[in-house]
Amino acid sequence: MAAEQLKGLEESYEVEGKMALPYTYFAGRVGSKFITTIRDQQKIMGVKCPACNTVYLPPRQVCDKDFTDIRDNWVELSNTGTVINFTVVRYDDRHLPRKAPFVLALIQLDGAGTPFMHIVEECKIADVKVGMKVEAVFAKETTNTILDIDHFKPEAEKISIHALNAARKQWIPVEEPVTNEKRRGGKPDMATPVIITAALTGAATMKNQNPSVPYTPEEFAEEAWKCWQAGAAMVHVHAREDGGMATHDHGRIKATHDAIKDKCPELIVNLSSAVGMGKTAEQRISQIVAIKPEMASLNTNTMNFGIVERRTGKIFIDYVFENTFTMLQDFGRAMEENGVKPEIECYDMGGLDNTLLIARQGIFSDPMNFNFVWGVAGGQAFRAESFIAMMNALPPRANFTTCGVGTDEFPCIMQSCLLGGHMRVGLEDNIRMPDGKLARGSYELVEVAVQVASALGRPVATATEARLIMGLKPR
Amino acid sequence: MAHHKKNRNVGIIGIGQTKHSSHREDVNQPELIHEAVRLALQDANLTMKDIDCVVHGNMELFEMVHQPDLWHVLGTGAYGKDCIRITTGGTVGATLSCASDNLAASGMYDIVMAIGFEKLQEGHTTGGITNMADPLWFRKIQAGALTGSSAYDVEREFGLERANRASLTYRIIMDKHACLNPNAHRAFGLEFSQIDDLIRTSPKLVGELKLIEMCSQSDGACCVIFACEQKAKELAPTPVWIRDHITVHREETFNIFGYDRTVPVIKTHKFAAEQLFRRNGIKDPINYFDVFEMYDPATWWAIDWLRDFFALPGDEHLKLVENKEIMIGGRMPINPSGGVIGSNPIGATALIRVAEAALQVRGNAGPHQIPTPVRHALASGFGGTMWTVMTMLENELNW
Ligand SMILES: [Zn+2]
Repeated sequence: MAAEQLKGLEESYEVEGKMALPYTYFAGRVGSKFITTIRDQQKIMGVKCPACNTVYLPPRQVCDKDFTDIRDNWVELSNTGTVINFTVVRYDDRHLPRKAPFVLALIQLDGAGTPFMHIVEECKIADVKVGMKVEAVFAKETTNTILDIDHFKPEAEKISIHALNAARKQWIPVEEPVTNEKRRGGKPDMATPVIITAALTGAATMKNQNPSVPYTPEEFAEEAWKCWQAGAAMVHVHAREDGGMATHDHGRIKATHDAIKDKCPELIVNLSSAVGMGKTAEQRISQIVAIKPEMASLNTNTMNFGIVERRTGKIFIDYVFENTFTMLQDFGRAMEENGVKPEIECYDMGGLDNTLLIARQGIFSDPMNFNFVWGVAGGQAFRAESFIAMMNALPPRANFTTCGVGTDEFPCIMQSCLLGGHMRVGLEDNIRMPDGKLARGSYELVEVAVQVASALGRPVATATEARLIMGLKPR
Repeated sequence: MAHHKKNRNVGIIGIGQTKHSSHREDVNQPELIHEAVRLALQDANLTMKDIDCVVHGNMELFEMVHQPDLWHVLGTGAYGKDCIRITTGGTVGATLSCASDNLAASGMYDIVMAIGFEKLQEGHTTGGITNMADPLWFRKIQAGALTGSSAYDVEREFGLERANRASLTYRIIMDKHACLNPNAHRAFGLEFSQIDDLIRTSPKLVGELKLIEMCSQSDGACCVIFACEQKAKELAPTPVWIRDHITVHREETFNIFGYDRTVPVIKTHKFAAEQLFRRNGIKDPINYFDVFEMYDPATWWAIDWLRDFFALPGDEHLKLVENKEIMIGGRMPINPSGGVIGSNPIGATALIRVAEAALQVRGNAGPHQIPTPVRHALASGFGGTMWTVMTMLENELNW
């Protein structure tokens, strides 16, 4: 107070006091799991209300809209999100997590229905905008609080493949005969868009190897959606039971197929006709005939299909994958008659020759679509010259894509893209990124394939273009 | 005091409480509340959609939460509903019940949910209460809710030996009741043969007030659903009717300068009881009521207050205790639930009195149900700044 204001009050005084307000916060089970998952796995989990489909972050025990108990309905959310609103803190206080000035923002993570508050850093305060994309930076040392996410930073610019495709002209087939000579000329057609397929599960990859392996129809739809966002035009699917076992149950396969189509109607779904180990021929083909996906895999030779330790040669599982000439013929015919385009799986040159032999019956419609598979224990390992030999043996107008088990995945797709072929990646074939880290999902492997294409200057095929290329009916 | 003329009758149709305990690490505050809310909805066979208004109460800032009614929406279910926050001290729970009764009786709402809760393990109750006093003189003049003056008064009037034995007898009766109540926080299994031991060994807190005679700090929640007469009759097989309630307080007497024995301050119970019984034409309350859930923060207060509530002459109140007439099965059962000494989640405590009294009227209180039919029940609440709230419950609409 100024001196004149104190006039007459000289005899009065103030007592300065301090209140100690210690307290303990019991986070509860839901809150504790949220924090420990961030701390131990650098994963941000929310809970989803099955009644109203709201995804809550931070998670809570009860949906406040309809009072449904949602405590066990965990869903993993993205580390990226959008600034919904923000404020600039311009005063210092002990309870604040940073020195002023700093930005506290309401951030809605991708996949979440509610925003939560956190710090935005690593950019100028003036550059923070409502709507900006941000990503979580995890703390190096845990405090067992929400600050185990240290802060959010502006997301590295990621150009959407869909935006790129929308900005270019659609690819149209050129009306000139494709000859083997042209291919052998060593000048692949790099103008044709490259089709990226995501193989979401296979029959054998389990959640304990990579938790993003989908089992339920909802999980398949979610994974397919992410792959679609990343640039895949097709997904290859082996349906699973809730417990993860491969299934030939028509209802379950249909539910899985339909869940994907409901979530991303554009996407081409390619169902497996191998299903899983020990299935009968009838179990393998009847589901294809019943569900009639746009495409299905067609296997071309009886072969060993085992699990052998690469380093020691020790056999873990010894299994013969039966694909007789009769099956090749009957499955191929059943597919073509039901409007299902076969994807012809060749595990070596013999499989390719088997197909060409049976094809003389006139079973297959043009163009034939082949997939060269590398690295199965029982099939051939990836070699660049074997790849070229197989490509050169293809009939005119045939398309080829490729996939490789484990670390074969990346060189083989790159070679295919380089030679004018297509690329298949995903957790069925390989669960790791090129640097050895677990892939966050098949979509991250799709992102690698997109990078390969862009490094070679090839456009990534839209679903429409993929249908044109592979001879599928337009949607 | 004028009799409130009710616009319409109100009945209790749903009751839920958590197990009360010293700490609940597994739930946060909204989650704790949610347990009680869910049980009350189940008990009433209703969903949150049926609730028109939520009345929320606790001792604000005991858990360091500002505007708890907003944060607790996750547990209370009050999203998008009318919600009122009430804090009147230790009486919060009883005031929740009065407010809910008034809100339903007025015609404003048909179904009102009252929620009282406290998670004392999270906060610093004594710190909060102690800081109420005037900082210029001395803060610590009253150590939280602890006061030994009642012990001193009873001891002075009836002698140390008799006073102490009466207090411990009351304590052991409450423990025996608490042992029958699965929700009670403290149930030790004490025996009357331990009285002398406990008098000697239990640590003294203030004067003759001993640790064993004092209530606990508990975590817990209670939820009670009130409905207007028509809805109550439609929805509940045995609604418990609220006949009347009264609130009396003398906050002006709360000071740090001591008190003149010729003008005793803690007489709000006596005044409230006289008014309430007079306006309801009850001449002999001790024979009229079948059970009494009394807010008893410590045994010394409890034995003294029996005299105030029932207008008992001489040492009748002590005899009730000494002859164990206040036990389940006795002439005037007090706190079959084990009372506040058994469980004290403050914001819920006084609502638990109403809830437990209502359970006794309904006849399904569980192992601590008194064996004879309960037609008329009484519940009381008490708060630190000399508040009294009393509630009368009936099994029939016939007064
Ligand atoms: Zn919901």
